[in-house]
Amino acid sequence: MADPGGKRVLVIDDASLVRLYYREALEQAGFHVEEAMNGLEALEKLLGEPADLLIVDVNMPQMDGFSFLKALRRLDPPLSATPALVTSTEARPEDLAAARAAGANFYLVKPVPPASLVEHVALMCGPPE
Amino acid sequence: MPLIRKDPAGTSAKPAAPAADLLTRGAVDERWSAARAVGDEPGAVERLALALASETEPRVREAILTNLVRRDTDAAVMAIAPQIRSDDAARRSAALDALRAMPLRLQKRLPELVSDPDPDVRLLSVDLARGLNASDATSLILDLLERETEVNVCAAAIDALAETGDERALPGLSKCASRFPDEAFLQFAIRAAASRLAASASD
Amino acid sequence: MADFPQVTPEEFRRLCDFLYRRTGMVFGETKRYYVERRINERMAATGAASFPSYFARLRSDVRGEVEQFINAFTVNETYFYREDHQFQCLTRDILPERIRTKRRGDSLRIWSAPCSTGEEPYSIAMWLLDNWDMVDAYDIEIVGSDIDTDALKAAEAGVFRKRALMRLPPAVVEKYFATQDNEEWTILDDLRQSVRFTAVNIVEPAETRTQGKFDVIFCRNVLIYFDDASRRLAAENLYESLAPGGFICLGHSESMSRISPLFEVRRYADAIVYQRPLEGAHG
Repeated sequence: MADPGGKRVLVIDDASLVRLYYREALEQAGFHVEEAMNGLEALEKLLGEPADLLIVDVNMPQMDGFSFLKALRRLDPPLSATPALVTSTEARPEDLAAARAAGANFYLVKPVPPASLVEHVALMCGPPE
Repeated sequence: MPLIRKDPAGTSAKPAAPAADLLTRGAVDERWSAARAVGDEPGAVERLALALASETEPRVREAILTNLVRRDTDAAVMAIAPQIRSDDAARRSAALDALRAMPLRLQKRLPELVSDPDPDVRLLSVDLARGLNASDATSLILDLLERETEVNVCAAAIDALAETGDERALPGLSKCASRFPDEAFLQFAIRAAASRLAASASD
Repeated sequence: MADFPQVTPEEFRRLCDFLYRRTGMVFGETKRYYVERRINERMAATGAASFPSYFARLRSDVRGEVEQFINAFTVNETYFYREDHQFQCLTRDILPERIRTKRRGDSLRIWSAPCSTGEEPYSIAMWLLDNWDMVDAYDIEIVGSDIDTDALKAAEAGVFRKRALMRLPPAVVEKYFATQDNEEWTILDDLRQSVRFTAVNIVEPAETRTQGKFDVIFCRNVLIYFDDASRRLAAENLYESLAPGGFICLGHSESMSRISPLFEVRRYADAIVYQRPLEGAHG
């Protein structure tokens, strides 16, 4: 169980093995990891407890990553300002534009190498503690 | 006491029958009501399919999809499936959710969807296999895995297998691992999936 | 009491994923103990040798195991003032917001659907009388609906076993109930008559439409049992039954996945509830 003072990362992806992959890399780097399987579950969880950073996949049931980010940005601050890293299997210009428009800070193409993930996470929310 | 009531206050007013083109031309609420109201008249599924293709308002889209889902027919599945190819993530997601709500109908179309020439369609469709029973899911996904060349499609297939498959998937997973020795995530995923499937099998 | 099964954190997460996909129930870390106890109970009841084998059984829904599992959470017997933090939210936040656009004497309609044997709508009535200072200022109507006509008959009769009153403060029992034998408790006639009971299947729009528009709907711990198709229909019907800006309250572990994307989430001090957007609002 991570140190409560640590930075909390919420991983939002419908593939449980992807979440596990990220979890292992991030926990090893000292981050506290929570999971959600789609944008709706993520919103519910964030309303209960905020996160320092979101890793958001695009293709998810019930609420895709972009819809989630738009919904997030409509909530009250500081929740609405939570930084977000978007992951997707594609990198078409329209996807990048959509990500930017939805308020994403970074866009990574899957499968994301663990080292790259940790590096981006540390960059976006500072060191784990 | 302020709460005493005896007489009904609810109205039983039904919304007026929508004009034929309210489905595509009305205001949001009108389109929503019109989508809900489409019944069993001839051409209903075609009308809904056409409206679905052009509708951008999420809740109207959902109402159209619910109307199709309610029918639970092959025609309904065929009306929804093309939406999986959309460039719009929300549209794709809505279509997949609707298809998930028709598991028995979907079962017949899944082999076709997971063999689609478009890897994006294969990737999204393989997730639908989670709704099948263990034996059908395992067969379908193993078939796909054997010939699949796209890493992300394999990843999606392995994840679905890990959730829904059974121990007969183990040899197929091994083979996949040897086909992609340099793909770190696939190696990880296959190991994790194999250990889950082995754990369920051991009882 | 047997030891808890060895459920690894990863297995626990996968169970939560499954429950979320299947029922829309969300369990945070705070509920973990509660969930593990239920796993333990169901494993004992089904004779499962290990968690993986129980989970396989749950996933295949052998002998309706999913429903059995959910039942353990919803505690099928209902009682008064169940999940009363939502009633707290009703009087602290929801109703004050609803009356902002109403004049004194305007109607305020609250729907308990499904209402089962009436504990929920009667709870709402008692709660409002005791906790809302504006209760006299508006024309409040409380409707309880259910598909089960036997339950509705019982609700109308207003007689309850002692167990149903277990969460009520003694002062509330004193004020609103009478008993001859300390086993059966009858709700005060005035209160009994303040709730109207109707037979409605929330999946059928022809039936939900007969009830008119509501300011607040309580639809707790029932959507989790519905399949996707029924759940979609029910959500649309509930949306249609709400006035613009009206609110819907689900069960405490239910998430909006049951009713999205029609509703917007609103977080208040006592509860998370869902709102039908006001006219002209985005999306």
